[in-house]
Amino acid sequence: MGFGLPWALVGLVAVAIPVIAHLLRRQKLPKQTLPTIAFLHRIHATRAARLRVVDMLLLMTRALLVVALVLVAAAPYRIVQSSLLDRQHALAIVFDDSLSMSAMDEGKTLIERAAALSTQQLRKLPEGSEVSVVLSGRPSRVWVRRRSELEMVETVFSELDPRSTRGDALCDAVQSAVELLLESELPDRRLLVVSDFTPGTRSEECEWPTRGIRVGFEAVSITDPDNRRIASVEVIGERESVEGLQLDVQIAGTKTRVRQSVRLRQRGQDTEETPVRWGDQGGEAELSVPAGSTDAVVELQLDPDDVLPADNVRGVLLGSDTIHVLLVDGDPHPDPRKRETAFLSHALGVAPRVGRSFAVETLDAQDLSESAIIRSDVVVLANARIDEKWLPLIQRFVRGGGSLWITAGDRINPRAYGSLLRELLPGRYTATRMEERPVSLQSKTLPELDQAKAFARTPIAEASLNAVVTASFSDGAPALVEHRYRSGRVAMFATTVDDAWTDLPYQPVFVPFVLDTLSRLAGRTDHSAEPYEPVSLPGSTASQRIQVVTPSGRTVDLAEADRVAFRDTGEIGAYRVLINGVNGARFAFVVDAPLAESELVSKGLPQEPGDPEAAVSDASHGVEQQLAPWLLLVAVALLFAELWLRQVRRR
Amino acid sequence: MTHVLEPELAVRLAGLTLRAKRTVDGLLAGMHRSPHRGASTTFKEHRAYRPGDDPRLIDWRAFARSDRYTIKHFEHETQLRGTLALDISLSMHWGSGDVSKVDHAATLLAALAYVLTRQGDAVSLITFDDVIRDRLPARSGPAHLDYLMRTLAGPSESKGVTALHASLDKLIEHAGRMGLVVIASDLLDLADDALDPVARIQARGHQTIVLHVMDPAELELPYEQPMHFEGLEGEAPLEVDPKGLRRRYQEAVDAFVASCQRRVVAAGGRYLLARTDTPPEHTLLQVLRDG
Repeated sequence: MGFGLPWALVGLVAVAIPVIAHLLRRQKLPKQTLPTIAFLHRIHATRAARLRVVDMLLLMTRALLVVALVLVAAAPYRIVQSSLLDRQHALAIVFDDSLSMSAMDEGKTLIERAAALSTQQLRKLPEGSEVSVVLSGRPSRVWVRRRSELEMVETVFSELDPRSTRGDALCDAVQSAVELLLESELPDRRLLVVSDFTPGTRSEECEWPTRGIRVGFEAVSITDPDNRRIASVEVIGERESVEGLQLDVQIAGTKTRVRQSVRLRQRGQDTEETPVRWGDQGGEAELSVPAGSTDAVVELQLDPDDVLPADNVRGVLLGSDTIHVLLVDGDPHPDPRKRETAFLSHALGVAPRVGRSFAVETLDAQDLSESAIIRSDVVVLANARIDEKWLPLIQRFVRGGGSLWITAGDRINPRAYGSLLRELLPGRYTATRMEERPVSLQSKTLPELDQAKAFARTPIAEASLNAVVTASFSDGAPALVEHRYRSGRVAMFATTVDDAWTDLPYQPVFVPFVLDTLSRLAGRTDHSAEPYEPVSLPGSTASQRIQVVTPSGRTVDLAEADRVAFRDTGEIGAYRVLINGVNGARFAFVVDAPLAESELVSKGLPQEPGDPEAAVSDASHGVEQQLAPWLLLVAVALLFAELWLRQVRRR
Repeated sequence: MTHVLEPELAVRLAGLTLRAKRTVDGLLAGMHRSPHRGASTTFKEHRAYRPGDDPRLIDWRAFARSDRYTIKHFEHETQLRGTLALDISLSMHWGSGDVSKVDHAATLLAALAYVLTRQGDAVSLITFDDVIRDRLPARSGPAHLDYLMRTLAGPSESKGVTALHASLDKLIEHAGRMGLVVIASDLLDLADDALDPVARIQARGHQTIVLHVMDPAELELPYEQPMHFEGLEGEAPLEVDPKGLRRRYQEAVDAFVASCQRRVVAAGGRYLLARTDTPPEHTLLQVLRDG
């Protein structure tokens, strides 16, 4: 038994009111002399015993009346343990189809066993009952919405995929199921959760219904929860080095009698296999990616001899920290060492030694191509005259998450930039001017920048509302202005990145300035996703065909759009992105098995906070029955009894 | 009790004459019939001679005229001795309104004393509770009336309960024989033999009138809310809701009144219920009219 408004029970102190009133009334009785009191004594003597009983009953009736009214106010309810099967009711089944439910037990997955259990529950339902099914694998989905054709619902369970790679979204599913139940007009509502209740379900975080819905749990679990998985992979080395990359693989789980190995798969083909060395803390293995490999992602496969094969695969993103920079030289200097791109390349070449990796591609402006742009994270237009034909390409690139850095110089055409790329740019270039006296540069994040002097500049005006000035001249004019545009970033620099207008390239601060600027602009998206999590990718265009190759080798063409949300991420492993049939490193990604789903030991049935009765794991688990109407009837009966007793007392 | 007999009441009662229903054997001739026939000068009636009549009473003149034996009746007029008895027990000092029962009873007895004195009768007075408290001998005349009125206005202080049986037995000794005895009391002596002395009073030739003085609140129990009731003569207090008891109380009181009346009448006396909310002259008229 519980109370909807337990604080109302404070009113029980009002039980004292009739007693106190009775005592006070006795004390305050008016005195009256009466010579004929002997007659009263005679009558009262015969009534006294009866009056004592009536008075006691009257007092009890009044006290009980107060108790009944207080209890009515407290909205009491009780859990009815009656069978589910005798009345029509609305049933919402939250069915766990997460990865952990793919564990094998006696030749069947837990999903298959849970489906059989759910089917049994369905068969017990009386005709006219209403069933909803919500799948709790992430993201949660309403699979059957309030159907009374029970046979049809049975077939739904038989059609469920017995294997899953999904994470768990039990709480979302419970919420959806409760909403469905509340939509039902049937008064008896029941929520049945069928799950393995492993730690991944995080059932303790769910908001379980406390009133009006009976909650039941059906647990399925495996007899031997022994499971191994690839816990982590560390990529060591540089892909450009002679040795190539080394992959240090850590295996979680217990040692098996059978020799186990980890295989390296590149582009769907096994390229290397190494045995697992078992220690106290699990297993480990080392594999290497040969030098010269251009793969952005590879896949590791642990021998699938445990109860949960799905988490034995792991995609590895190679060089995911590498920023692909396309340097577009707008004014190729006869001396290659004097080119803007040369200074930038030199600075970026230092990057690996300070912890960053930049993949640099240099093009002259006339060689700029869509494929070159789309492979890149950042495009640097160094003193490049803007051409109208680049406009849609650059726009799509930035909208799709690419970044653009424009540096000034005598080749840029401010008016064209202002008219063609105005929307994209964080400001507007004005007329170039030569300084009579050099102005120094300033930056809060790079104080050493003040060592650099500029002799000429193309001032930036009319900064956009969300523009950020990250460097300025000593006269206060902005030197480097940045802002976000859609998914990408754009920066404008008011002077050159060669030595034509400034001595900046010769200053030690030039390297950190370039690296910081490019890293900030790159600001790349996460290349790791959970199963069924959408991944943002550039869409195909008329000239660029973008395709995604899934871990199983399936090729998916992306739609024609600036950017698409690729949702077909149900497979665990490495996803490659092909641009016109060629691997595009920038967009490769991996889908990892949800970590918590590999833990297969059930943590027990949920306990609803504050109301343990509501978390009984049995099919006969009770439903809340409101007691207030009955108590109200009792109160009315007590009221009539009180009136009757008063009449009896007067007789 | 400061004003026993209102002057207005005294005037209204002046023309009334009390005639005793039964002849009294008085020492003084008065307006009352004597049982001793023939010795008086007041002719009453002729009637036919019946065997057993004294032949000396035959009216021979009438025989000469009508040739029938006729008896000539005369009446003696004697002085009446009235004994007034006032209950001054504690219960009599109670009243629901402005007038207590003892006030009302004293007024009635004073009126009777006035009437009796005016017609030349001798009046005595006793007051009693559980014993005789005041005792005035039978006298006539204005001085005695004044003395009697003062006694009625300020009887001895009472500390006792109503003890009818003992008090009325004492009254018998005081009243002598063949007179009028008027007892004004609430009769709240619930002993079975409380009114037995009435029969003995009657046996001594008295005409007994019992004025049962009751307050309307005693008869009707008009209280509406639960109360702490207290008696006046040592009864235990009682907390009751009178609404629940009223009907049965009234039945009990009615039965008590009826019982009193039945006992008095059975003993040969007259019983009158004298409610304190009834004007005293009404009660007095009833006494005198039926007397």
